[in-house]
Amino acid sequence: MQKRNSYKKLEDFLFDPSFQRWVKFEDDSAQWEEWTLENIERAKLVEEARLWILAMNVKEIPVSNKETQLALQKTWEKIKLSNEKTLKNTSRYIWIRTAAAVLIFAIASFAYFTLDDSTLLKNTITYQDLVENESNGLIEQVNNTDNPQLITLSDASSILLQPKSKISYPKTFNGRERKVFLSGEGFFEISKDLNKPFYVYSNEVITKVYGTSFRIIAYPKQPNVDVLVRTGKVKVSSNRDSKNASAKEVFLLQNQAARFVRKEQFFEKILDITQDKSLFASTNTIEKLSFEFKDIPVHQIFKTLEQAYLVTIDFPAGKLEDCYLTTSLSDMPLPEKLKIICESLGYNTRYEMNGNNIIIISNGCD
Amino acid sequence: MDDCLLWSQLKAGDEEAFSLLFEKYYGLLVNYGKTLNTESEIVKDCIQDVFVDIWNYRNTLNEARVVKAYLLSSVRKRIVRLHERNHIFSNTINIDSIDFLYEYSIEDRLIADETMVKSVKKINQLINSLPARQSEALYLRYHQGLTVDQVSEVLNINYQSTKNLLHRAILQLRKEFPLTVLITILSVLSTV
Repeated sequence: MQKRNSYKKLEDFLFDPSFQRWVKFEDDSAQWEEWTLENIERAKLVEEARLWILAMNVKEIPVSNKETQLALQKTWEKIKLSNEKTLKNTSRYIWIRTAAAVLIFAIASFAYFTLDDSTLLKNTITYQDLVENESNGLIEQVNNTDNPQLITLSDASSILLQPKSKISYPKTFNGRERKVFLSGEGFFEISKDLNKPFYVYSNEVITKVYGTSFRIIAYPKQPNVDVLVRTGKVKVSSNRDSKNASAKEVFLLQNQAARFVRKEQFFEKILDITQDKSLFASTNTIEKLSFEFKDIPVHQIFKTLEQAYLVTIDFPAGKLEDCYLTTSLSDMPLPEKLKIICESLGYNTRYEMNGNNIIIISNGCD
Repeated sequence: MDDCLLWSQLKAGDEEAFSLLFEKYYGLLVNYGKTLNTESEIVKDCIQDVFVDIWNYRNTLNEARVVKAYLLSSVRKRIVRLHERNHIFSNTINIDSIDFLYEYSIEDRLIADETMVKSVKKINQLINSLPARQSEALYLRYHQGLTVDQVSEVLNINYQSTKNLLHRAILQLRKEFPLTVLITILSVLSTV
């Protein structure tokens, strides 16, 4: 009781059993009340602690005496049984133990030499795990063709999905974040929304952006996950609790990349993609094309887009023959690029998108 | 009877002391075990196995022990080990940890006015949304009345980490809560 005079923190009260008893069962009520009112600071803390105790009630389900006795009996039986076993083990069955030890050694060395990616397996998170853990309904797109495939999301972001890759995403992004799941490789152009961060989950790596473009390479059987940033800022982090805090997350800027080494679970940061031959080789047409146009005929701009996104664009060539544009279309997804082109051409121009086929409807430029 | 005395008698091979300790702690351990694994048959098995080991290896047990913390810790280890064994061959994400599943409830028989109900509900919500480990540390410290040292023994982490865990839990909750608390306090004080 004396020690309570030194109580200064909420914890001091919470973890004092006699205080708990007062709140719950009004034990020693009179003298706790008197003590509380001695000091206003103290009264505040007491009141807060009381709310806490009421909020963290633990309901115990009582175990009956009969059940306890039954369990005790069972335990004695188990003890007897285990003693009989040890007796046998130590005498007659020694040779079995020896044989077992030899066998285990043989299996272990076999496993060591043949299954060298078993450690990889143990630490990995697969696309399947990720998608199964997501409770919201997802749409899955699988690219079984030999060419990159364009995917547009409900927020007007676009993704170029490479062959042998798949992606899962919700029909619309409800809630406070946008979340998609990738297996394989894709180039992402995310529409800007500062209130709704965009997350890509790929194997053990989570990539977080608000609106930028970047490439992720995360095939299931490969030893690394690579994230290559084309424009903007990207945060890449590991999808598991790592003991090594510095290995947990990496911030990337334009032309930087991060490689997550899956076996050892750490990030390697590459400061300039263009200086790294193997990484630069893995960038694609779309990253090498420029979307800065200066007084360029619009049909040429459409051609660039067709090359970059592997889509076809149908447009009234005659009506748009003499239209030239100066515009900067880097760092935005395809739907936004098209929107800006159409707006620049004039109010009577719009576009329609059907999968990989885009139709421009226009009466010419103003 | 005093735990320490029973413990040393047990070590000397006293079956009566063993049974007394079993009876004293079985119910409590079942309740704790169920916060880690929802299948009560498995939990009960684990607890019995812990006691089997205690009896079989009584000669090698430490003398000075806080029996309660030792039992809680042994049961926890046992459930974790079982959990790991079951998950080695299936492809699960968390193989090295189990989650504390308990949800704190509200002691509503003691709440009179409505502002208080609101505050208590809010705190309850915040407590239940704490990360599993923080929630478990809180349970052991608060509900089981263990010291920080004993909590760290049960959770198998060091003293400082445990302290941080508890501190963070409370800090985080208080950060999210201050406004409502203030209102309640004012209303309570004005009635005093």
